Amino acid sequence: MAAPKSCALWSYCGRGWSLAMRGGQLLGLRSSWPGTPLSARLLSQEKRATETHFGFETVPEEEKGGKVYQVFESVAKKYDVMNDMMSLGIHRVWKDLLLWKMRPLPGTQLLDVAGGTGDIAFRFLNYVQSHHQSKQKRQLRAQQNLSWEEIAKKYQNEEDSLGGSRVVVCDINKEMLKVGKQKALAQGYRAGESFTDSRMPIAFGIRRVIAAALQEAHRVLKPGGRFLCLEFSQVNNPLISRLYDLYSFQVIPVLGEVIAGDWKSYQYLVESIRRFPSQEEFKEMIEDAGFHKVTYESLTSGIVAIHSGFKL
Amino acid sequence: MATLLRPVLRRLRGLPGLTRLAAEMPLRVPGAEMPLRARSDGAGPLYSHHIPTSPLQKALLAAGSAAMALYDPYRHDMVAVLGETTGHRTLKVLRDQMRRDPEGAQILQERPRISTSTLDLGKLQSLPEDSLGREYLRFLDVNRVSPDTRAPTRFVDDEELAYVIQRYREVHDMLHTLLGMPTSILGEIVVKWFEAVQTGLPMCILGALFGPIQLSAQSLQVLVSELIPWAVQNGRTAPCVLNLYYERRWEQSLRALREELGITAPPVHIQGLA
Repeated sequence: MAAPKSCALWSYCGRGWSLAMRGGQLLGLRSSWPGTPLSARLLSQEKRATETHFGFETVPEEEKGGKVYQVFESVAKKYDVMNDMMSLGIHRVWKDLLLWKMRPLPGTQLLDVAGGTGDIAFRFLNYVQSHHQSKQKRQLRAQQNLSWEEIAKKYQNEEDSLGGSRVVVCDINKEMLKVGKQKALAQGYRAGESFTDSRMPIAFGIRRVIAAALQEAHRVLKPGGRFLCLEFSQVNNPLISRLYDLYSFQVIPVLGEVIAGDWKSYQYLVESIRRFPSQEEFKEMIEDAGFHKVTYESLTSGIVAIHSGFKL
Repeated sequence: MATLLRPVLRRLRGLPGLTRLAAEMPLRVPGAEMPLRARSDGAGPLYSHHIPTSPLQKALLAAGSAAMALYDPYRHDMVAVLGETTGHRTLKVLRDQMRRDPEGAQILQERPRISTSTLDLGKLQSLPEDSLGREYLRFLDVNRVSPDTRAPTRFVDDEELAYVIQRYREVHDMLHTLLGMPTSILGEIVVKWFEAVQTGLPMCILGALFGPIQLSAQSLQVLVSELIPWAVQNGRTAPCVLNLYYERRWEQSLRALREELGITAPPVHIQGLA
């Protein structure tokens, strides 16, 4: 089975997913955490020649990987602007809610898959940092008789403002990671080098990708670990669904053309969203992968949903 | 789910555009395969690069591209999109004009394209001075432009009209050569005025009216007092420039061609003249 290795090939279903695996050949992510708070990893894959779906076009599989990569290469630079335009800023609320649901403690390790430009990663770091700082403050206040020198020394000695937390951001696309890395450096975080890990094989087909990705997510987490997925989902209200479809198909490609000069990528985006499983279906798939206490919460009438499961 | 939507659809019937849209929307039938992407008139793409769009999308594109072209003048693709989404009626008129003229009808039939792959640059180089071909090449060199920078038509829903607007774009450089205008902002505005009078395309008219916004007071004065009247007059007297089979006229003397079209010399010498 000596298929040639190539640039990362991912099947895309909304923002949340990029992991996929050939059933049976499970070579996983490296389990050692790098010594820097934020490190970017680019995974390269092997391909398999079968048909799959690219939005509503059916293309041979070898083409799809390239197409998906191109979608995000052109999308990377304008990604953040487009997100704000398309969701009218609501995507920030969704991501904040995800962090709120997550409630990470200082010391938590985050693996941000398809993390792109790092929206979730930065929210996580800010959350953990502010928690750590308030914890520090509380500790200092609790000690009654500290001299000025002792207080000053305590603040100076503080090496790690994050309390041991780390984030690893994975994404198929170098451009997205580059943008994310620039943001990290601008905000004062140490960002590690990117490197390719060529041990992850891939399968195509949206449903197979999800199942395989969930299995891998389950394998990677430590016991007690939590899996969270913020993803586009199915709208429950028929009238809102109609308006949402109208908006998606009529307005979003136009926005893509005017702002990013790219109609096709955004047409693909809205089509691929409709292929994603519903909240209940996805919940069952997560349970099938071995997670316990699986719950979901629909946001904005079901336009997006946050699914959560634990590895026990 | 379809039964729930029927009363909604009935209420939407009052708005014809929306019902057509509603008919195009892929209904979400759980478990079934997704239908093919929405189409504006039931047909798929009519030519390569064609993206079928609904009237609402065209309206949004026209508004968005106009705003973006004003906001960021380097977005030439937005000007092209504006032309495609607003020009349907005018393109029909132009196409009929071309059909009535013998040379124009030939162009419509043979569909010549101007690009580095279709031009024989060596032959053009060897032509005598003041010939159309040689002057066109000089124009490309001096202004450092290439005929390949024209984006393909995407949003015109008729295959022949798509060619007409493509031809119009590719002929634009010829007009620069004919009028003797460089590719500076001032030169482009003058050519736009000429094109607006000649073709009547909404995009040309908008460009002609809004282009001068960025100019200095001095340039504006020269433009309004001398260049625009000259361009408008030439535009009126000259026959439709789309009817010229430029590819067959490379050897023709530029001066003779200008006389044939009734194009006079520019009143003011603009820096960087072609």
